[in-house]
Amino acid sequence: MENKKKGRPLVTVFIKYRELGLLIILAVLIGIVGLRNSLFIKPSNLLFIVEDTSIMAILAAGMLCVLLVGSIDISISAIMALSAMVTGVIMRSFLTSTETVVIVDGVEKLVTLRESLPLALLVIIGVATGAAIGLVNGFLIAYGKVLPIVTTLGMQYIVYGLSHIVSNSTAVYRKDMSDAFFQFSRSSFLGINSKIWIMLGVYVLLFLFITYLRKGRWLYAVGSNAEAAQMRGIPVQRTIVMAHVVMGALAGLAGLLYASHDTKVTQDMASGYEMYVIAACVIGGVAVTGGAGKLQGVLLGALTIGVINNGLTMLRLTGNSEFWKKAIQGALILIAVISNVVLQRIMTRQSLARRNI
Amino acid sequence: MPKRGRGIGFFLHWEWLLIVMIAAVYLFFGAQMPQNYTFVKLLNQTRVYMVDVGFMALGALLILIMGDIDISVAATAALSCTVMVVVYSEGNGAPFALALVCALATGAACGAFNGLLVTRFKELFPMIITLSTQTLYRGTAYIILKDQSSGNFPDWFNSGLGYGSVTILGLQVPYMLLCILSVFPIFYIWIHRTGSGRRLLSVGANITAARYSGIRTDRIKVTMFTLNGLLAAVAGIFLTARIGSVKYTIGTGYEMQAIAIAVLGGASTAGGKGSVVGVLLALILMTCLKNGLMLLFNDAFILNLAIGLLLIGIVLGPNLVRAVQNIRTLQRQRRQATTSITGGA
Repeated sequence: MENKKKGRPLVTVFIKYRELGLLIILAVLIGIVGLRNSLFIKPSNLLFIVEDTSIMAILAAGMLCVLLVGSIDISISAIMALSAMVTGVIMRSFLTSTETVVIVDGVEKLVTLRESLPLALLVIIGVATGAAIGLVNGFLIAYGKVLPIVTTLGMQYIVYGLSHIVSNSTAVYRKDMSDAFFQFSRSSFLGINSKIWIMLGVYVLLFLFITYLRKGRWLYAVGSNAEAAQMRGIPVQRTIVMAHVVMGALAGLAGLLYASHDTKVTQDMASGYEMYVIAACVIGGVAVTGGAGKLQGVLLGALTIGVINNGLTMLRLTGNSEFWKKAIQGALILIAVISNVVLQRIMTRQSLARRNI
Repeated sequence: MPKRGRGIGFFLHWEWLLIVMIAAVYLFFGAQMPQNYTFVKLLNQTRVYMVDVGFMALGALLILIMGDIDISVAATAALSCTVMVVVYSEGNGAPFALALVCALATGAACGAFNGLLVTRFKELFPMIITLSTQTLYRGTAYIILKDQSSGNFPDWFNSGLGYGSVTILGLQVPYMLLCILSVFPIFYIWIHRTGSGRRLLSVGANITAARYSGIRTDRIKVTMFTLNGLLAAVAGIFLTARIGSVKYTIGTGYEMQAIAIAVLGGASTAGGKGSVVGVLLALILMTCLKNGLMLLFNDAFILNLAIGLLLIGIVLGPNLVRAVQNIRTLQRQRRQATTSITGGA
């Protein structure tokens, strides 16, 4: 007994804060790339990585809600495309462009000012579109009892088709975007890009929701044991729908940011993005079976993927690293996921061993 | 299940539902385009819509029966074709048979790697593992082939296997169609009529119970993933025969189509369920539908939209009917209970 009082071994810290293992993996990754290319660990570059990862992090936060209730959503990239497309088409139809002469450094320049609906309204349209698709997903899964993967796989096809119909098979380009929308992902506050601020806002709100509000705790309850939750009086089906609506709304927001950042919206925008998001969640320690996972872990998972993506370019492995990038990306994600599992196994074994003593 | 409501119950039988759907789709498009949408032309189009996806769908069936999922099949097929093309055209005189064997071996190796990872790291959902191996396999194909497409195959492979057909009863039946149709009876007998198929189903239904009853679940899983990889390689070979060249993007998105067909055929992603006949019928349904939609709209997005609606609709429909039935039974039981109570008192 005295031993215990003296001090806690390092292992217990790891057991309490499971995200630490991930933090180590992240630090090792950054260290390896930093050794090879010192430009990588400059603060400005690290900030750039966060900025680059913010869209994925927003999506991963939504995916956490969906995974927590034991569901999954692979239609998010389609939702991103649809909400960006709906917003883009509406923006294009209300667009008025005026040409004015601006004097920059004593030189006259012809500048086109593009104005459309106010940015706030556009964002509301995009988020509402995403939330509507999320609502359909949730209803099909919770009330229609269609398996989540099947539902969202089908919805992926349907929603991409819808974005094709909405846009009448045209793309939205920079010339169709209002200046405010163009600046949406570019403006900065206190030297930090707006995408990071939006991501932080989403994370703080969602953290408060998941941790302190009753409805947020329901997510965990439904995911870990739906039957017990039902007995306890928790509206299981409504909670599942709610999780999907949150996911859809965040996917809509992410779609707008992606479109503004990319300065174009095509019908197959962001295809394949959902895989990175799910990988980020799994690296972050979210159980795909539901009921377990933390927002902190998800953020770290998304950053790990971001570091892998950006670090590979910085590594300059071969003359033409573009060919190597894809394969190494897959391998690294696999290694990150597996090493997280191995670390957790070691921790569990240690904690069990301690309890025996 | 109650015996009442038999009229609806008949259509709840999955295979019948699929047959009715096939008939409906065939008659609908046949009425729309009597010139272009004929059985003979449909038979010719089966090589585009039925063969390569069909092999992958059989693999997806095996994996779905076990309650797992494999998203890396299309990437496996791409890597196998890449190996085949490299061995044949850059190996300086390597016989084509050797290239084929190498392709099959690559597919099996990719599948076995998936299977080993899935069984060694049970905490991870198979979806995540195959997600990352997908990038890995396609990336490897990208490294090997770079950005170019390659292909210079023997005549019997391209024009023979790819576009040749044999006349049976006055109908031009593609060789490829015969190949895939000959595989289905084997799978049917294996999965539904032998002990090994039954063990496979039991692994999906309840893996703990299967393990306690002496089934080597891990070994079965690895074997099935290997077989799935092998089927993916076969699909890739047929795909190459049809297209005539290999690029690293070959077969992108086929994994989702394969899963969709297996689910349409009655497999559940929860495992323990699946029927070979269902997959065959779903494959025929998809062929009829895709060909018709392509002729009518000539737009891949509309095609995908229809497939998505079909996928959700065909799973949702029986669920809703069953839910209504359950509510009705409950109401009836409640009514009986109240009448018996009031009658007794």
